[in-house]
Amino acid sequence: MGQVAHYLEAQGFSTVILTNTPEFHRQVGIPRVAAIEYPYGRPVGQVNDRDGQRAVLLEALAVFEKAKEPGQIFNLPFIWPEEPKKADWHPPEISPIVKLHLDEIKRLGAEARKVKS
Amino acid sequence: MPDTTKTVDGFRFMPPALRAWISKDIPDQSFGGHIPWTPLNKSLKETTFTLMTTAGISMKTDRPFDLEREKIEPAWGDPSYREIPQTATESDIKVSHLHINTEYIKRDINVMLPLTRFQEFEQEGIIGKLAATCYSYYGFQLDPTELLEETMPKVATRMREEDIEAVLLTPA
Repeated sequence: MGQVAHYLEAQGFSTVILTNTPEFHRQVGIPRVAAIEYPYGRPVGQVNDRDGQRAVLLEALAVFEKAKEPGQIFNLPFIWPEEPKKADWHPPEISPIVKLHLDEIKRLGAEARKVKS
Repeated sequence: MPDTTKTVDGFRFMPPALRAWISKDIPDQSFGGHIPWTPLNKSLKETTFTLMTTAGISMKTDRPFDLEREKIEPAWGDPSYREIPQTATESDIKVSHLHINTEYIKRDINVMLPLTRFQEFEQEGIIGKLAATCYSYYGFQLDPTELLEETMPKVATRMREEDIEAVLLTPA
């Protein structure tokens, strides 16, 4: 989505990306980043949590005013109430690209676990 | 209680193997290239906004995003876009996405495309206006050429027709 933000900014629109993965900023350079540690597919908050959604969005809107130059990351302070394993953000079936690379992904996972231990 | 010193870990919800696989393409260094920039030289309450998400949301009356081709060609993602009227509700939409659990969006569109919340902000004078039209495309784009060169110019034209000044983007 960073490249889309590039395009829109170049076309004269101001953008903020409310993103769960600010790490991609290092890859593409995002104009304005509001980073939030919420599960994929729910960057604004929990289902039917009007107050929680509003709090997140007001912080994201504030980034339009706080960001004075391109490429600044604003980490939002919110904490998701469930443990990652309980967030259930995964698709019901493994995505086609992950399925295609599953052996490599498993190998990298095993290596990462080895480094950790 | 909010944690004001927090640094977001974008992989906290991801299994370690998937994290390792996706991270390998992300550089350790910060981005050094040019970042285009349009300053917002007015207050939020004078600004016309639209919303744009990558969650593959379409109106039931419209063509859904093409997931069948992606199942056959795993590196391909539908590069088209859909318009979502700001009045859309959960019962009006279809959510087509192979990389997330779409159930939450179907129960409350605002978790991904916060139409109702922005309507409230407009009524309360926090923002100037939410445009009549919001936008959705499909976030899985390993080759974004068609999205950037063909789809986005059409979106930008539509956005100018509605005098949009600022966009909140919500990747899935």
